[in-house]
Amino acid sequence: MGSEFHDIDWQAARWIDRMSRPVQDAEMAAEFDRWILKDPRHVEAYARLSAIWQSEGLHCALKGSGETLVAANEPVASNDDDCRPGHAWRQVFASRRAGLGVAVMALVLAMVLAPRLMVEEAAFATPRGATRIVALSDGSTIRMNGATRIAVRITPWSRHVALEAGEAFFDVAHERLRGFSVDTGGASVSVLGTAFDVDRLDDDTHVVQVYRGLVSVDAGAGRQWRLPAGSGLEVSGERVRSLRGVTGQRPGWTKGWYEANDTPVLQLVQRLNRTSARPVVLSDPALGELLVTGRFQTDRPADVLDAIAAIHDLRWREKGGRYVLSR
Amino acid sequence: MLSSIRDLEATPGTVPREDGWDAVQTAVQRYVRSRSGRHDIADDIAQETVARLVELGRMQQIGSIFALAFRIADNLLTDMHRRERRLSDEVDDEWQSEEPSMDRVLDSRRAVDVFNRCLRRMPPLRREVLIRRRLNQESCRSIGEDLAISAKAVEKHITRGMIDLRKALELAGVDLVGHD
Repeated sequence: MGSEFHDIDWQAARWIDRMSRPVQDAEMAAEFDRWILKDPRHVEAYARLSAIWQSEGLHCALKGSGETLVAANEPVASNDDDCRPGHAWRQVFASRRAGLGVAVMALVLAMVLAPRLMVEEAAFATPRGATRIVALSDGSTIRMNGATRIAVRITPWSRHVALEAGEAFFDVAHERLRGFSVDTGGASVSVLGTAFDVDRLDDDTHVVQVYRGLVSVDAGAGRQWRLPAGSGLEVSGERVRSLRGVTGQRPGWTKGWYEANDTPVLQLVQRLNRTSARPVVLSDPALGELLVTGRFQTDRPADVLDAIAAIHDLRWREKGGRYVLSR
Repeated sequence: MLSSIRDLEATPGTVPREDGWDAVQTAVQRYVRSRSGRHDIADDIAQETVARLVELGRMQQIGSIFALAFRIADNLLTDMHRRERRLSDEVDDEWQSEEPSMDRVLDSRRAVDVFNRCLRRMPPLRREVLIRRRLNQESCRSIGEDLAISAKAVEKHITRGMIDLRKALELAGVDLVGHD
């Protein structure tokens, strides 16, 4: 293996990194095509490094070395066990049947390829108390809860939504070559064709609930889960809680309901604040930790506050344009 | 061999044989051989890839034809592995393909051990960059911001990291099949 080969490998490595970036200009695309055509060895070097870079083996090794850093917070709901010792490639392929790991990789490459002209970008926002249905050009729909902001980016090879604040229910049109992902800042959700709800309660706490199909959630630091329909996940910083009993066609909030299940009052209040015309505040943050269970009609905040007050022997009043909940 | 893939609209006869497509088809064949080590399927995949490219090219402008071609070929390879796995589950637990598969080599316990050793030996910063880029799919810019280094430096670490991994496999004698 001479030094010329060596050079080619370096060039190939640089191209693999460049071609997996979200934005590629036309000039770079043309340069890559010229490089590939120039010498057959370029294709071979690029292919071999692609194989290494995309391999499950590297994924597992990186995951292993990442876990030594975060070993203390082993997630409870993890079912991403492809990398446990003793799991040979057989299991790796079995998991690929779901196609999600590959979809994620493909998505990254996919975003690369779209020339800027063909990229559709749009941002949508709802005020407190209003909901909105956004229909995307691919046939997917997004129902936005109140006080929600999203940014949509669709290219011929990728579909991506950034949920910047609030909550949204996604009904995704299945496409074979084009994935769909939702980024909540902390966690990212990748799907094939499916329906799911993502709730960004605050910067730390993100809730994903799946109503149809299968989604993959990546919370960073190698923490990944696959959620089938009927299940959900609440990621709050280092803590992870798996949710069950996700039923129906779509989440209750789309019909003005919220189903609380041992849910902290703070979460209920945060949700109420999306629909209530007046903000709800707690006189004492400790009240936020009380748990409530039940079906609440979030478009009627006064009734919800009455119910919370009755459950925990609290009171509430209107003060300065706000609802204040106190002992 | 690929005929059972769904959504297959174009049949081999309908692919236009213009000069440009021949070059693409040849490159994809080469790519598949090196990428997977599977010589038996390279022609099929290259043909199918070009058919899809032609279809896509009719509907929209394509940035890098080769980057898209290689990605389509990757997807087809994945589909094929998946189908072969299903088949082998039905037929025989100890089933082996007659052709070696690069993916199988790279997913093996031995390759993972080589990667692990290589990652342990590299500077912690480079390892961190690789984890963030490959595992967490972070952009070079955000990695650079978090680690207080320039995006250029991030790029260098990734490139170096890939070469390190490639060399480690070679030194360990893990055969990267597909050399012509």
